Parts: sequence; C-alpha cells; structure tokens
Amino acid sequence: MNTKRHYSLPNCNLILEGLEDADAESADILSGQAPMSILINAECHLLTSNQKLSGGSVFLQNLAHAVSNYAQGILSGLSQPDRSTTEYPQVSLQKLEEQHLHRLTLEPEPNSGETKTEVDLSTVELFDLVDAIDQFYADRSALPNITLELKPVSKRYRKPEQPLAERLTPVAIGFSSLAIAAGTLFMIPPPEIAPPESAPVNQTTETEPEKSKTTTTEEEPDSNQSKPNEPDNSP
Amino acid sequence: MMSQSASLESDFPESAPSPTSILNTLPDISLPSKCCSPRTQQQIDLLLLALEALELGASEQMLATARQLGIEQVIKHRVNLWRLRCSNPWRRSYTRDYLSLDQAKALVIIAAYRAKDLMVVIRQLLVAEQQMREKNLPIDNHFRLSEYLERFRAHFRSRMNSRRAKVSAYVDSEEQLNELALSLLNKLLFCTGTRGMQRVWVSLFDGEVA
Repeated sequence: MNTKRHYSLPNCNLILEGLEDADAESADILSGQAPMSILINAECHLLTSNQKLSGGSVFLQNLAHAVSNYAQGILSGLSQPDRSTTEYPQVSLQKLEEQHLHRLTLEPEPNSGETKTEVDLSTVELFDLVDAIDQFYADRSALPNITLELKPVSKRYRKPEQPLAERLTPVAIGFSSLAIAAGTLFMIPPPEIAPPESAPVNQTTETEPEKSKTTTTEEEPDSNQSKPNEPDNSP
Repeated sequence: MMSQSASLESDFPESAPSPTSILNTLPDISLPSKCCSPRTQQQIDLLLLALEALELGASEQMLATARQLGIEQVIKHRVNLWRLRCSNPWRRSYTRDYLSLDQAKALVIIAAYRAKDLMVVIRQLLVAEQQMREKNLPIDNHFRLSEYLERFRAHFRSRMNSRRAKVSAYVDSEEQLNELALSLLNKLLFCTGTRGMQRVWVSLFDGEVA
C-alpha cells in the first residue's frame, strides 16, 4: 500500500513516498502503523529559493549523509572524512565564506541529460534541512533500515593550530644559528696547550703527615702504659 | 540561600547517574583520559556565555532547568555551576579542573534545553544577521542583534583572561568578538533541532578521539 511521510519546517519540506511493509509483525506497536520499507520517491522542497530536489533511494541516502556530515563540520570546524560515494546523483555541500552561505550541489549522473542543481542556503535554511533529515532519521516508521550514527572525528583529521611553516621556523632558526656559531668558532685558532711544568717537590706537604704520625704513636704508648698498671693494683 | 559548607563540598565528585537519567540521552565518548579536554570545556562554557547574552538571569534559568531535568546531583547550586564553568582555560578564574563526561553532558543538556526555549529569538537574530549581510549593512545596525552582541562582548571582556594570546586577540577586535558571538548563536540554533543536542555533543569531541 502506498504511504507518504511529510517532514515540514519553515524553510524546508521533505516528502517521502513509498510502500508499506505488508508484514503485520513489523507494524509499530504504539501507532499500529506499518513502516514504510520501500522508497519510491523522495522530494526536498527548499521554500525560500523555491527549488525542488527529488530522486530515489540513492538520492535520499546521499542527501542525508552529506547534510548530516556537513552540519557536524559546521559545528566543530573540522570537516568529516569523505565517504566516497560512487552512486549518482551525488550531493555535496560547500561553504561560501564571504557570503556566509552554504551551497548545496546535486550532481546527476553524467550523460543522463539532466543539469546540475545548485542551491545557496543561509544558515537557518541549512538548519531546517538538517532538522528535516533528523526527523526522518528519528522516525522509526520510515525506512527503518537507514540509520544515522554520529561519531566524533578522529584526531588524525585535526588541523594543527599553527601552520607547518610557522612551526618549523623556530627549528630552522635554531639550526642556522648553530651553524653560524660553529662557523665563527671554527675561525678562532684553538689555544695552544702548554705542557704542565714539572713541579718541584713540596716540602711542607711531606713534613705534615710525619708530624701527625708521631702524635698518634705518642698517644698509643700512654694507653698501653695505663693498662698494665691496673692489674698491678688489684692483688 | 547557599551555606558556606555547601561551597566547600567537592565540586568534582564521582557520580553515577541512574539508568533512567537524562544524561544517558547523550552517547558516551571513549576518551583516552576519561576527562574532557580543555578545548571541549572552553566550547561548553562559551555556549553558556552566549545563552547569558541572550536572556537576562540566564544562570538562574540554567539552575532551574537542571532541577527540572533531575540532574541537580551533577549541578547542585550556583557556585557549583560557576566552578564547572571555570574549567574553561580562557577564564580569569580558571580552576585547572577537568570535567567528567557526566558533568560535560549535564552542561550540554542544559544549554540545549535553554536553547530550545529561546529558539524563536535565536532564529530571529540569525535571520536578521542574514538580512543585514544581504543588504551590506553593518550587523550592529540591527537593534536586537546589536543588543545581543554588545552583551556578549561585555560578558566576554569581563570574564576572560586577556593575558592569554587568543583572548586578547578577541578582546582587541570588536569584529572578531562579533563573529565568535554569531558562530555560537549558530551552534545554539543547531542545539534546538531534533537530534541537535547529540550533534553538538559529538561535535565537541571532534579531533579529540583516537
């Protein structure tokens, strides 16, 4: 049975037409509505620019994927790694920095005779498009096999805060100054090493240990002398 | 309203949310350090700062929202909220603390719910911005937009540490601060969408995960 889903927002309408799943078991428990399982046609009306984009299942998937990824890129400033879509019509979004707009491009299959469609969206219109797609993703009764998985972008795609040239300048300056310093120091002749003169034997150092030796030897006999005295007194 | 002992409690406790908590609406992000990065914390605080520029008495509204949503375990009172926000490294009163995932989630959820309440204003301001740009007029010429920008600039200048190079670049240039304020307004708009909260939450960790 034919079924239709509308997702309406102030600047954007998304309309899906498809066939219901005849299997009663897959019906939604709460509403009793059978989910749309086969998509026949998807239409996206952009009301401000009065443009209509339409296509089949591939168009819807590519549109949803491109818009969702682009929105994440807008939020964090890091563009998501591109999933290379080979199927046509391809959908891509591009930021127009100067006009503060977002250009949505729908590229039909080459040799199909259709022309490329470009629509410029303001941020509010883009948000409405994102929200229409999010409502579709959240709607379990429309194409439940298409799901959205949001994931943060990996560290590998993070842009360094300073450009490479800026980060390399301190290193380059360091190496060049080291090279200059080495060059100038190379010019200076190495100082001549004078062999140390043979120092005459120092008498004072030799005599001192002798004195200390004599004092220690003098003390020892004293202690020896006192000991033999003790046993003499005891008997 | 607030006792002295309350402010002496640890602001960064280990809390375990119940399985039905609204915190579970946001997916867990597997981070190498289990805590948020300073960049994430800065983004969250700036979002809340933009909300403060949008409405008067925003911090009271945030606390009320926290109570309504049942996350007062994570955000207990005004001082607690302030200390969590001071994990933004740009702040004058930067605490050098790290937000746990639950605390970051709570702040993002509050921001998203406040943004949903202010959706009409946010949309109007952004439509006005686009119109001013189309007519090649300075954005400041729009009354409500200039009011928002002025309040944002005042909040930013009074709370951020201008000795930090990035902050001082913003503080010196009114134009750059306006751009920052508008980009935050865009983020708040995305917060209001069907999956907006999840989108903004995930985007906070772009470039942070392995």
